[in-house]
Amino acid sequence: MNNRPELFRGNRIFLACIYWAFVLYVFVPLILMVLMGFKDSKFIGFPIRSWTLDWYTGVFADAEVISTFGYSVAIAVLSTLISIFVGTWIAVLLEGRKFTGRGVTFGLTVLPALVPGIISAIAFRIYARYLGIEPGMGAIIWAHAVHNVPFVVLVVMARLSTLPKSQIEAARDLGADPLVAFMRITLPYLVPAILGASIFCLLLSFDDFVRSFFLGGYDPTLPVLIFAKLRSGMSPEINAIATVALVLTAAIGIWAERFTRRMNKEN
Amino acid sequence: MTDQTPLVRIEGLSKHFGETVALQDLTLDIAQGEFVTFLGPSGCGKSTTLRILGGFERPTKGRVILDGEDVTGQPPERRNVNMVFQDYALFPHMTVAQNIAFGLELKGMGKADIKRRSDEIMSFLELDAFGSRYPLQLSGGQRQRVALARALAPDPALLLLDEPLGALDAKLRGQVQQELKSIQRRTHKTFFFVTHDQEEALTMSDRIVVMNKGRVEQDGTPEELYFRPASRFVAEFIGETNLLSGHVRGTEGDKVVMDWEGTTLKGKAPARVPGEGQPITASVRLEKLGFHAERPQTANAVQGRVVSKTFLGSRMSMQIAVGDKGDALLKAYVDAETGQSVGNDPVWIGWEADNMAVLND
Ligand SMILES: Nc1ncnc2c1ncn2[C@@H]1O[C@H](COP(=O)(O)OP(=O)(O)OP(=O)(O)O)[C@@H](O)[C@H]1O
Ligand SMILES: [Mg+2]
Repeated sequence: MNNRPELFRGNRIFLACIYWAFVLYVFVPLILMVLMGFKDSKFIGFPIRSWTLDWYTGVFADAEVISTFGYSVAIAVLSTLISIFVGTWIAVLLEGRKFTGRGVTFGLTVLPALVPGIISAIAFRIYARYLGIEPGMGAIIWAHAVHNVPFVVLVVMARLSTLPKSQIEAARDLGADPLVAFMRITLPYLVPAILGASIFCLLLSFDDFVRSFFLGGYDPTLPVLIFAKLRSGMSPEINAIATVALVLTAAIGIWAERFTRRMNKEN
Repeated sequence: MTDQTPLVRIEGLSKHFGETVALQDLTLDIAQGEFVTFLGPSGCGKSTTLRILGGFERPTKGRVILDGEDVTGQPPERRNVNMVFQDYALFPHMTVAQNIAFGLELKGMGKADIKRRSDEIMSFLELDAFGSRYPLQLSGGQRQRVALARALAPDPALLLLDEPLGALDAKLRGQVQQELKSIQRRTHKTFFFVTHDQEEALTMSDRIVVMNKGRVEQDGTPEELYFRPASRFVAEFIGETNLLSGHVRGTEGDKVVMDWEGTTLKGKAPARVPGEGQPITASVRLEKLGFHAERPQTANAVQGRVVSKTFLGSRMSMQIAVGDKGDALLKAYVDAETGQSVGNDPVWIGWEADNMAVLND
């Protein structure tokens, strides 16, 4: 590169332009959304003549928003716990001893991630009625968990495939039966992958609209509530809610990314 | 335990991996306190044997008897045997002290006993300063010692080592070889060591088992293997040697008389001597050949001409053309002074019958 700077200079500037155009394209809508949350007027749009924090104080005082937020978090946490447990279990099975039907099992496991959201939501709805599962929290958790399992399986399997066989053999050699070896060697090794997958599942669940909408009962999740509020008209209140959600999820995402990267480095 | 009952008895062990035969009818006794080395080329079944002893593989046929008990079907965690892995397999999320304590905890030892035993083994292997470090924060040699400490801590009857020095550079390797040997002497543990490096095997072992294609070629002390190889394979595999192919002329006591390149030679007889006129090979080590101006009084003597010299510092390696047509080559080591004085004139090469082993192929 160093001996051909002339050739690359033009290219570099061109690439930089494209990059910044892309960044603008992604961030301008977000910035606009955030700005509108501070507008002291009921109508969304420019110009913003005066600023206010009233929409935010309103959101934090709104019992419905707060309880919906809690409801969404509870669904995210519970569905994540289920997917982590099931997904890790399947990953360990698939990475372990070869058995007949391994390929089929893997295919079926990953399938839910590939089905379009609307189709899986309708399928869940029909199946839930057929099984007699009431729409509501249980049904949403169930759908989120199933949808998230493939991501857990893929992430955990990838990590597991890098665990040297000699680690488990060494543990067995020193007196650990298969279960103890799993708990004390395999599981600690999987922690970074499991944490990463957990964060991903939490965000997927928290963000999900289609499944929550189709399987929900009387209580809305946060995205469903925002949708309901939108139908009664745009108002900066929605921007305030969305901004809070944005800040929270971004913070969690960034923290998790740095955390798992550090853990991976340490191992 | 008395000396008569071996610590380990391997009886008719075979292992097949599908079509591949990794081990074929291996029978071997190992006495308490021995340093036994398994030596052989890649793929000859060394690791397979070790893994069967450790409990990681089930043999297709045969039994392993440890301390009088048949352990063939026992899983690794039930055997009083520990292994030092080639990649050390240290647990990365545990400190050195935790790694060493792992086996002790699983033995059901109390906290105080674990601490005492870990400290003891760590100071024995000069690891005291590293107790709270993680494996990634250690050098290769230090990791190797931690792996050894972890395997020795539970006080196994037998220690298995699968090429444990393979990851070390040449200099450190020599040092660790000495260390390992001295540790084995001080602990009186039975070491079962695997390597494909013949030099390493010669320096460290009480006894070497040479393997080839899943079978034992020869089993003996380093000296026996070096000076009295039982087969052509062993002679070629261990050290450098001259292999002389000729024909049997007859026997004379425990010696074989053979024809080689128009000369009659005498060497130590193998277990089974082929009939007269049959082809046969003899092996004589490079340092056993002597240079003489006149025909020497040794049992074997040939005349030849030096065709090349290589200076190696304290000694020289020479190539000598001998035989009727002068197309047979002998290699010899001589001290540097003798080497320099040898010119282009014909020389006599002599060696004693006891220094040449006649081999079965
Ligand atoms: N799990 C396995 N599946 C199939 N074949 C195997 C397996 N393990 C070993 N083998 C085969 O058995 C033979 C002996 O292997 P082994 O690992 O014992 O060799 P080795 O003497 O340790 O060689 P090296 O010096 O290269 O480590 C080889 O031909 C190898 O390919
Ligand atoms: Mg091997």
